[in-house]
Order: sequence, then C-alpha cells, then structure tokens
Amino acid sequence: MSSGDWTDPRPMSPHLQVWKPHLTMAASITQRITGVALYFGTFLITAWVFALAMPAKADGAPAECYTVIESIISSVFGQILLVLWAAAVLFHLANGIRHLLWDGPHLGFEPKTASAWSAFNYIFAIVGAAAIWFAAAYI
Amino acid sequence: MVQLTLPRNSKLVTGKTWPKPEGAAKLKKFKIYRYSPEEGGQPRWDTFWVDLTKCGPMVLDVLIYIKNNVDPSLAFRRSCREGVCGSCAMNIGGNNTIACTKGWDEVAGNTITIAPLPHLPVVRDLVPDLTNFYAQHAYVQPFLKTDTPEPEKEWKQSEDQRNELNGLYECILCASCSTSCPSYWWNGDKYLGPAALLQAYRWLIDSRDEATGERLDDLEDPFKLYRCHTIMNCAQVCPKGLNPAKAIAKIKHMMVERVS
Repeated sequence: MSSGDWTDPRPMSPHLQVWKPHLTMAASITQRITGVALYFGTFLITAWVFALAMPAKADGAPAECYTVIESIISSVFGQILLVLWAAAVLFHLANGIRHLLWDGPHLGFEPKTASAWSAFNYIFAIVGAAAIWFAAAYI
Repeated sequence: MVQLTLPRNSKLVTGKTWPKPEGAAKLKKFKIYRYSPEEGGQPRWDTFWVDLTKCGPMVLDVLIYIKNNVDPSLAFRRSCREGVCGSCAMNIGGNNTIACTKGWDEVAGNTITIAPLPHLPVVRDLVPDLTNFYAQHAYVQPFLKTDTPEPEKEWKQSEDQRNELNGLYECILCASCSTSCPSYWWNGDKYLGPAALLQAYRWLIDSRDEATGERLDDLEDPFKLYRCHTIMNCAQVCPKGLNPAKAIAKIKHMMVERVS
C-alpha cells in the first residue's frame, strides 16, 4: 500500500513519524545514500582520469581541461567533497562485505551483532577517511 | 512508492488530555493514538495519566486500566494476554511489539507513546486493518503439500529435520515485523513482507513438504521476495525473538542454488 496514492477514507497509521530509529536501519539507508553518492562521484573520477590522459601542451604544461579539474578538486568545496567521498567509499565497502556475509554464509543476523556491526561500519568509514587524509597531508 | 509524510487525512492533531486520577501514588503519562470512524476528522494524540500502583506490569494492563477507569471507548485488540495469540501487536515507544509481554518499565522516557501498527489503514484507535497481511499469508500456502500417497500413520520426520523448523514455527502472526519494515511500508502491495516470507521458508525447508519448486516459483519476481534489503527491522522488533531477515536470506539462497 503506497501512501502516494492513498485513497482509503480511513487514516494511515503513522510510520516514520513514530518510529524509533536504530543502527541497522540507519546503516541500510546510509548504504543506499552512499551508493548513490558514489555513482555521481564516479563522474568526477572519470573526468579526472580523462583529463589526465589528454596530451600535454607543447611547453610541457598540463592540458587545459586538467587544469580545470585540478582547480575544482583542490578548492575547499572539492576537498570537502573528496573527504565525504572517501568516507562513502569506505562505508559502502564495509557494509558491502557485510551484505556478502549475510547473503552467503548467513552470518551476523543476530540483532545485537548486526547493530554492533553497523556501528563498526560507521567508525570504519570516519576513521578510515581521516587516516587517508592524514596520510595524504603528512606522509 | 516512497512517501515519507502521512497523507492529508492521516495527519495527527493534539487531542484531549484526560484528567489525572485522584490520589495517585505513581503517575505515568501515555500518549495514545485515537481515531473514530463515526466522529471522522483527523486522528489525534490523547494524553492519559495512569496510576501505576493500581495497574499490572504490562502495557496491555495500562490499556485495560484506561478502558476500565478513564475512557471506555478506547479500542484495541487483545485476547490471550500471554504472548501466544498476537492480537495486541502495536507500536509502543517507537517499536512494534505485543502489549501483553512488554512491561511499561521497559519503555524508556517520561511519556510512553502508543500507536497502531505502522502504515496501515486504521479501523479505530489502535485497531488497524490487516486484510492485506492475511492475504499475503494465504498466498504462501502455509500448509503441507504432497504428491505421494498419504502414509498409513503420520508423515515421518527425523529429529534433525524437525529441528530445522525451530525459530520458524513459533511465529504468532502478530504482524509486528511486516509493519516495521520500510520496504513493506513503501511496497506492501507487492512485497510479501517478513512474516509471510518466514512462513514461506518454514514450509520450504520442511522435510515432508513436496512442493518446494512450486513454492519458489511463487516467490520469483522483482518484488515478492527481493524487496528485502536486510534493513533488519523485522528481527529487531519480533516479540518472539525470531529472525525473519535470516529466513529471507535463506530463501534467496535457495533461489540461487536451484538455477546453478
């Protein structure tokens, strides 16, 4: 019963309005959101690789389109996007492995285990993204 | 279809605040969903105060206290009051469960919110219309199907084969799981939902059943089974501690195995 075309004269009982969210539910919607984000992030990566492959100018300077991409990526907005993108990749990776273990050997279905695992995926994404940025900045 | 907000006729308004009982020793506030088809209008949140010293330990006792002492028109389903009939399933403190086995002291917060099972047409107060839910249960044909002639006595099953049914046969069809599932909220007309799928799996792995192929055929489409995205709400809320999410994963596995 979809609510978009609710024709019943009786009211629909509240759902998200009363629901108390929990970790596995949050991880599920985050998996969806990061998946969509990665889809669009791929355009940026593709543009960067594409620009990288363009022949350099006669004086050895990079091609014009590379300079444009470079300026987008190194802007504050671009950097924020990249941090978020790194976190999204890591979350999607960790949660994706969990989906494999759910659907293959059926591991991690106990509600408590599943909740703990969801928490771990968030921590993995945030700490991982921070570590990558730290490594990029100081190593 | 995903619609995050409630339809116009379903939006809640603040209702009546019922008087506090006189001389009460230990008061607790309950916010309860009210809708009356005769009165019509918007559904509303009524506020009740319950003297916990005069009331049993469960949320169902609270509802009975209110019906007896405050407002006799409060409608809810109940029967066994011991967690085997599944009638009193509702949303308590933001999670679906059965009121008869949920202690009011187990629900966090100063106010306990009680609403009907989510995303269903409301018949009255805490009574939702479960017609679709039962139709989905009927769809999975939850009974033994065989081709071989009936044995003289019973259909035999080894102890191990019988153990396969543990964690499945205990389902009381309270609908807590199905109505907790966002996939079921958005696609309840096409997706069978965790309760029906747990029942489907209960018959799929029954060693005596001979309709496994047909049963899998009946689930093979983009919605009936595969709308499960392992959100896990079903397993988080099941008042009997069952795990529909795991049963569904096992059905998906059977689907893959029979083609490979």
